[in-house]
Amino acid sequence: MGSGRSELGMSPVIRIRDLCKTYVVTEREPGVGAALRSLLHRRTRETPAVERVSFALAPGEVVGFIGPNGAGKTTTLKMLSGLLHPTSGEVSVLGYVPWKREKAFLRQITLLMGQRNQLVWDIPAADSFELNRAIYRIPAADFRRTVDELTDLLELGPLLRKPVRNLSLGERMKCEVAAALLHRPQVVFLDEPTIGLDVTMQRRIRAFLAEYNRRCGATILLTSHYMADVEALCRRVIVIHRGQLLFDGDLSDLVRRFTAHKTIVVQLGESHLDLRGYGEVVSALDGAVTLRVPKAETARVTGRLLAELPVIDLTVEDPPIEEVIERVFAQEIP
Amino acid sequence: MRYLLLLAVYVRVNVLGELAYRAAFVMQLFESGVDLGTALGGLAVVFSYTDELGGWRPDEVLALVGIFFLVGGAIRLVIQPSMTRFIESVREGTLDFVLTKPEDAQLLVSIQRVDIWKLTDVALGVGVLAVALARLGTRLGPWEALAFGTALVAGGVIVYSFWLILATLSFWFVRVENILVIFQSMYEAGRWPVTLYPRWLRYALTFLVPVAFVTTVPAQALAGRLDAQTLLEAVALAAGLSVVARICWRLGLRRYSGASA
Amino acid sequence: MRGLADIYAQQFRITLASFLQYRASIFIWMIGGILEPVIYLAVWSVVSRSRGGSVGGFRAEDFAAYFIAMMLVNHLTYTWIIYEFEYRIRQGSLSMALLRPLHPIHSDIVDNVTSKLISMPLLAGTALLLTLLFRPAFHLSLWALAAFVPALLLAFAVRFLIEWTLALAAFWTVRVSAINQGYFVVLLFLSGQMAPLSLFPEPLQMAAAILPFRWILSFPVELLLGRLTPVETLAGLAILLGWLAAALIGLMATWRAGVRIYSAVGA
Repeated sequence: MGSGRSELGMSPVIRIRDLCKTYVVTEREPGVGAALRSLLHRRTRETPAVERVSFALAPGEVVGFIGPNGAGKTTTLKMLSGLLHPTSGEVSVLGYVPWKREKAFLRQITLLMGQRNQLVWDIPAADSFELNRAIYRIPAADFRRTVDELTDLLELGPLLRKPVRNLSLGERMKCEVAAALLHRPQVVFLDEPTIGLDVTMQRRIRAFLAEYNRRCGATILLTSHYMADVEALCRRVIVIHRGQLLFDGDLSDLVRRFTAHKTIVVQLGESHLDLRGYGEVVSALDGAVTLRVPKAETARVTGRLLAELPVIDLTVEDPPIEEVIERVFAQEIP
Repeated sequence: MRYLLLLAVYVRVNVLGELAYRAAFVMQLFESGVDLGTALGGLAVVFSYTDELGGWRPDEVLALVGIFFLVGGAIRLVIQPSMTRFIESVREGTLDFVLTKPEDAQLLVSIQRVDIWKLTDVALGVGVLAVALARLGTRLGPWEALAFGTALVAGGVIVYSFWLILATLSFWFVRVENILVIFQSMYEAGRWPVTLYPRWLRYALTFLVPVAFVTTVPAQALAGRLDAQTLLEAVALAAGLSVVARICWRLGLRRYSGASA
Repeated sequence: MRGLADIYAQQFRITLASFLQYRASIFIWMIGGILEPVIYLAVWSVVSRSRGGSVGGFRAEDFAAYFIAMMLVNHLTYTWIIYEFEYRIRQGSLSMALLRPLHPIHSDIVDNVTSKLISMPLLAGTALLLTLLFRPAFHLSLWALAAFVPALLLAFAVRFLIEWTLALAAFWTVRVSAINQGYFVVLLFLSGQMAPLSLFPEPLQMAAAILPFRWILSFPVELLLGRLTPVETLAGLAILLGWLAAALIGLMATWRAGVRIYSAVGA
């Protein structure tokens, strides 16, 4: 669980150290009496959102930043993109201090937020692109080339001519993604980019992001609570919970370290057999039984199943990542 | 200049969105026409009983009405829609998109929405102004024209800065749209020369909500009654308010991004 | 009937809580309502001064009394439903209201009355302040004051019903802002808000008498200023009652037609 990975022979593109963010929130009880009292005096409370988080990203890395709602993912992302001042700690992105919001810095990053649109509602996306072109001062030739490439990769074709309000949610998201990448940023921050999209669209966006990273070498930091996003795109994950960093490393490491169990799925010739003697039965449907066994027992239980029961098919799997993550969160700081 | 280029781009974006709603033009014409008719009707009733109003001749008050519509139109053309959108974006979180762009956020926020149909108001204002000027005769010399132009521009800067200061309150408070209503209400007082009002209201319209500098002062320039001191005050106020607006903007941004005091 | 009272009580609590939440907006809102009479007051005072003291039987102090009274009456009869209704339809909250076993007008009544109650202290204070500033001349008599209460209540009821019916135009067209604006202009000229009606040319005065607007605003104001005889007062009250009946019938008919259209198109 540390930073300082060996790949960081080149200087890191993103580096944060002991980053903290504490919010001050007002609170009030229900009822008319409390409402009247609050006219005179507002009560506040301090809520830590991010506590002493440190990590570093090398250029070109695609890193997944995962955690439950309210874990501090979005807060961290906002601090990295310059939208939020940290309460304490160091932040450096591309050598800049993000909250200073220098123009040279802003020209090299992009922030894409799921469910929030920057495209102008009533006009075709192509015209919103022109707006970004002016703001980012993209030279005409580069602009055309980038638009063509993005249109190709995202299959935007006919979508660009339609007013944004006439597009479906998935089509709109594709256009938002394109708009965010027109200026070929070196660093891409994605905040829940696939939220609300159907499975096909999610897959397409993931494929695009992977391809984009391959072609342009952009560093991508993406938050999500869809494990599928992370599994598909990121070799490295950073897990955050209640503002604290729980894990930073390879996804496979995460699975290996935090699972004490394996899942065995058995397809049996007979139904209604009781497998409780072999391990914890997770589900039993029409002869397909899912068992959960301690890792150390896997080989032995497998052998017994094959020997003692009419097994048609048998697979040994890692538990689903969601389960792994849940256990990580439940364990708090390992 | 960079600012003009960006403004042109935003106008284009907004116009493209609006052209889809052609009926909006007819509506706007109707609304502006009714508004103007009301103003002129009021003038007619008042001036049926007197020849001059506190030293103002009918055509001078007509010119004032023209300026009122002209500036009011300009406000509703860019300033009001952009500021309203800005306040919404603070609440919705879409301000973040503006803040990650490599351009001065105050500029982007101020020109982001253009309600192109309000050009009707501006056009009507110019029309009324032209009629008033014609009726006033050719007593307009180069000095008056310069004074008028300066007063008008100063008034514009004052209005913009004032709106921005009010809008930045949304960094600290909720439901700030209501505050903008203050200006709308007090701007209505600009339909008549501010010199008519009792002293306390005159002061309020000069120092509290600077409507006087926006309508009455330019009208005074046209009537040849503007003294240099008032003109200088207008320019000074314009400069001062724009500085204050910038400071409020920066303070507000620091608060929004959670910078410690 | 008790069920309705209970509903009113609940709605009152909710409205009160939410108004207190947004305390600033009430205050800000009042500014507009106060400024308008002051503007007209100032203008007409200047006019009267230039005519040697009075215009059409109104001296500066009479104008002051007139516009302060007009501010009070306008405020106490004010409704804002014509702004909101189109929004409700577009947003879908009207559909929600139609699902409940209660005519949506009731919650609007409570909303309106509650906000008036909350702003009452502020209104009274403002009236007091304006009285101190402008030194109006009030000619109050006891019977006029007594008659003022039913006059005001009737005026409020008529105005509320009329504007609620007007708001229903949103069932038939999206262009409500044009209708609203037209209504407000007519109201401005023919109700006496801009100037005492006796100062307007004859044809306008006749139009004003035929339409309800004179009776909604100008009549209670004239009553408060002591400019009406008992006979005229009774006549005015009778006319208001007549308008109340007409407005009620108009409302019910329009509502029924409107809801039919609304549910046909797809609520």
